Amino acid sequence: MKSFEEILDFAIDNEQKAHDLYMDIAEMATRPGMRQTFLEFAAQEMQHRERLEAIKAGKLPELDQARVETLGLSEHLVDVPVEKDMDYQSALLFAMKAEQRAYDLYAGLAKATDDPNLVTLFEGLAQEELKHKLHFEREYDDVVLGDN
Amino acid sequence: MSLKYTIAPFSAWLQAVSKPFTVPVTGGPRPGAPRYRGWHINDVEKCIGCGTCSAICQNEAIDMVPVDDPVVGDSGLRPKIDYGRCCWCALCVDVCPSGSLGMSNEYVWADTDADVFRYIPGVDEKPWDDSELGWRREEGFELVDHDRVPMGMLDPDERTQTWAEVVIGYTEEQARVEASRCVDCGLCVAACPAHMHIPDYIGAIRDGDDARAVQIIYDNNAMPEMCGKVCTRRCESVCSIGVQGDPLAIRWLKRYATERFDNLAEVLQPQVERVGEGRTVAVIGGGPSGLTVAYYLAIRGFEVTVHEALPQVGGATFFGIPRYRFPMSSLEKQVDLLKSAGVKFVLNHRVDGDELTRMLAENDAVFMGVGLMKPMALRAPGEDLPGVIPALDMLREQNLGHEVDVGEKVVVVGGGNVAIDASRISRRLGAEVTIAYRRRVVDMPADDEEIEDAEAEGVEIVTQAIPLRVEATEDGKLDFVWGPAEMVQEEEGKRPRPKLIEGVENHLVVDRVIVAIGQGPDLDWLPTEISEKICNKWGYIEVDETGMTAVEGLYAGGDLVNDTADAISAIADGLRAVNGIVDKTRAQHV
Amino acid sequence: MTEQTALERRVQLWFGPQHPGITGNMAVQAWLEGDTLTSGVTHVGYLHRGFEKLMERRKFIQSFPIVCRICVPEPDTNEWLLAASIEELSGLDKEVPEKARWIRTLFLEMSRLSSMLMVLGGHVGAMGLGTAPNWLITLRDYILDRFEELTGARVYHMYVTYGGVRRDLPEGFAERLEANLQEIESKLPLVDNVIFDSAVFRKRAIGVGVVPEEWVDELGLTGPIVRAMGIARDTRTDYPYEKYGELDIEPMTTTGSDIFARAWMRRLEIAQSIDLIRQILAKMPTEGPYSAKLPNMLTWTIPAGETYVRAEASRGEMGYYVVTDGSDKIRRVHVRGPSYVHGVTLLERLMPGTNIADLSALMVSLQVCPPEIER
Repeated sequence: MKSFEEILDFAIDNEQKAHDLYMDIAEMATRPGMRQTFLEFAAQEMQHRERLEAIKAGKLPELDQARVETLGLSEHLVDVPVEKDMDYQSALLFAMKAEQRAYDLYAGLAKATDDPNLVTLFEGLAQEELKHKLHFEREYDDVVLGDN
Repeated sequence: MSLKYTIAPFSAWLQAVSKPFTVPVTGGPRPGAPRYRGWHINDVEKCIGCGTCSAICQNEAIDMVPVDDPVVGDSGLRPKIDYGRCCWCALCVDVCPSGSLGMSNEYVWADTDADVFRYIPGVDEKPWDDSELGWRREEGFELVDHDRVPMGMLDPDERTQTWAEVVIGYTEEQARVEASRCVDCGLCVAACPAHMHIPDYIGAIRDGDDARAVQIIYDNNAMPEMCGKVCTRRCESVCSIGVQGDPLAIRWLKRYATERFDNLAEVLQPQVERVGEGRTVAVIGGGPSGLTVAYYLAIRGFEVTVHEALPQVGGATFFGIPRYRFPMSSLEKQVDLLKSAGVKFVLNHRVDGDELTRMLAENDAVFMGVGLMKPMALRAPGEDLPGVIPALDMLREQNLGHEVDVGEKVVVVGGGNVAIDASRISRRLGAEVTIAYRRRVVDMPADDEEIEDAEAEGVEIVTQAIPLRVEATEDGKLDFVWGPAEMVQEEEGKRPRPKLIEGVENHLVVDRVIVAIGQGPDLDWLPTEISEKICNKWGYIEVDETGMTAVEGLYAGGDLVNDTADAISAIADGLRAVNGIVDKTRAQHV
Repeated sequence: MTEQTALERRVQLWFGPQHPGITGNMAVQAWLEGDTLTSGVTHVGYLHRGFEKLMERRKFIQSFPIVCRICVPEPDTNEWLLAASIEELSGLDKEVPEKARWIRTLFLEMSRLSSMLMVLGGHVGAMGLGTAPNWLITLRDYILDRFEELTGARVYHMYVTYGGVRRDLPEGFAERLEANLQEIESKLPLVDNVIFDSAVFRKRAIGVGVVPEEWVDELGLTGPIVRAMGIARDTRTDYPYEKYGELDIEPMTTTGSDIFARAWMRRLEIAQSIDLIRQILAKMPTEGPYSAKLPNMLTWTIPAGETYVRAEASRGEMGYYVVTDGSDKIRRVHVRGPSYVHGVTLLERLMPGTNIADLSALMVSLQVCPPEIER
């Protein structure tokens, strides 16, 4: 990967893949309300994609480099497989883990690159994923862990 | 007459050259004394609009007028003073439960328009609004009684040896004294989800008419003995007396009134229109919302059948709440009243999707209040180990009278009422109990009194403890591993959230890990064509203002509809559905 | 002179209700022959607001703003009597803190002092002498300054409540009150010069308006009127209440039973009051609560019962007869004020033979307070 555009395209593609995955899960979800949940997740990924496209088109300022502090919720929780009877708790856990993996990907790429401009871009994208993760963490903290 | 008497009065002339008696006044009126009773001031932020000032004003000089949209705990009203009536006695200030009302030491105000002498202190700006001096409420002189009549309780050591009720209940005399503390402001009515007529039944208790109190209570609560024992009592949290003193023991007074009568049917003769004659309603789930619907529809002539999966109705109040808080006899008394009202019960019967569809076709209305039956999972490694159990299962087994073995040492994960109940039951089963909670004690959703009671019974609470994993030890016990958390304030106005401090692991070796982190709806049994219409993304059911779902004739309520998940909210949901069903029936009559 | 002409010579004269020479809003309908009254009838009702009846419709606490209006120059006796009677009937009297009892005693004595300063001025004011009344009103105002500081108001104090008083003494109150007392004492010799050493006052007061001793028990006369006959009767010593029993106090008397004697009696009692206030300030505890813990005043009910409580006002004995029925309101209250017997019964007996010019001075010397007659 060389240019900004290529990297952004890669990231856009990632968001698209995430969107498609959620659409697939929504399609097969059996539990009441879960179809809606995954459709919403998919819509969020689509928004992320649009945001990256806007950055690519120069319509938005560059990515925020400020470090995002997450709650560290998902790290010590178990992995959940994709299943048709996923409940809301599993869905959130799945989403948190997905965002974490995306973060790990970009953070790894930033480490593997020497070009300072690319490092900045990868780190920006990594922080962006952490923001998404924080969003799911807060929801998990409020809804699932209401009594804890 | 002596010459002295002719001359002496002329000594007054000496005053012409002496210091005069009078005090020269320059530079405007002399300021009133530091505690002068002048024009009113009111800290409208502190004021809760309870209207006690208006109630004590013997001149009826104070009107409560709307200034804002009411919020819970604040009527949205503020006192408006009519100085054509006010006599500046300051009883309003001395009685003010919030301590917001005061008087400035300003007393001069002239105007050609008499109407200006009616104003809302603190809202209508006046030059003396920031007056430091004047008459203020003073601690040590109270016109209301700040001290609650203490509730008798079993000794903590004694409690863990028995399943007997912990709370003893008020005697008649105690109840009358406690009831007399009420100032009849009605803020509690707005705060109660069911809008019970709290000041009215408290007034009846105060006046010694307990039967009347029960009649008032039953006007909109068919499970008052339960509420009198375990209600979350939002009413008490907004009680105006509670601002500076102890709130009225509203819950205990309701308990007192309902416990006075063994046969409620003799006391209650509801005078309601029997609009439902010849109509049938099916209720799925015998919890507080379902029983509410059943009672109030039954007394209106509807033929109501309640379908319950367990061998006893009561819902969470039967299988969830421990007997030392809500004994079986109390529940049975309430169910007996329902039976006498003609409600039919089908027990040990779990309704499935096909049956629901059939019920919708065969009944005029179906009410669904099946609660949140699915415990949230820990989702930490090791949660599948034997010995890691959901608190709800444990409570249900205990309340069904089955043998429950928690071993010698237990950790309960969570800080809600379920966690506290599981802990206190475990104490009674003889175990040493530790509660591990992710946040602080102040963040616990559990009732403050419950937390205190649990601690008194020897439950240890470890806060800011995040469960990491559970491991099996070699000697067949469980190693509960947790990490410490720091509280981080991310969003303004929201409670801080716990964040794991990496790298530290604490170990707690126990026999059981009881998980009580929360519960969610379990509606997998619903036919897809129904669930698609009525469920939101969290899997909860949505209803309109009549309590009806998007499916015609299907009503719902209780924990799977509201976001507060307590019994009184479930009762309120039930009442909403009752009104919806009755209104619809009446409309069909026309 | 024929009967006809005698009637023609009689003049009927209305004195009041709006007249500076009358003590408050009441009227005397007088029949005169020459300038001498042959008879007189009192007319009251101009101030009637039905205080007693109003109190039957009020919660107990709500009666305090009413009772103080029963006597404008001396409202405080009424506050105390209401508090004391309801405390006795409710049993709250056992809870009144020591300090509150001392403050109440101080409050009542300050009230007597301010009232007597005012009426002493009235004695000569009624004869058209303006100097002394102006001075005495100023001296009274010094006491009102202290009332304002203590209670938040100058005239209607509404300070005594069930179980004690509404606020503690402010910081430095005793010192400021003592300074006022010294100021008053320093001016009293001046006042004596223009009243008791005045030939005008002596000539118009000595031997005028004499009340015979036989009427005392017949009419129920009390206060300075009785003590000015040399009879040592005083509720404070005969039936001590609050802390009067712990004070060094002897009923004062003088003789003559005329207007002069009654004025002199008040002069003596001003000195006595100043002495008592000093005793109270010296004996009063500085620490402790000023009020008992009260039940909720909006719902307070007290047992059925009846009582009569009395106190020595500057005018004489005041008493409250109170009946309760177990509800949250007074069932019946009767205010026994000295003004009814002094201002109606006694005045009507004294009027025949009195010179019209002396009528005002006579009324002042009986210290008539019309709102107390009408309640």
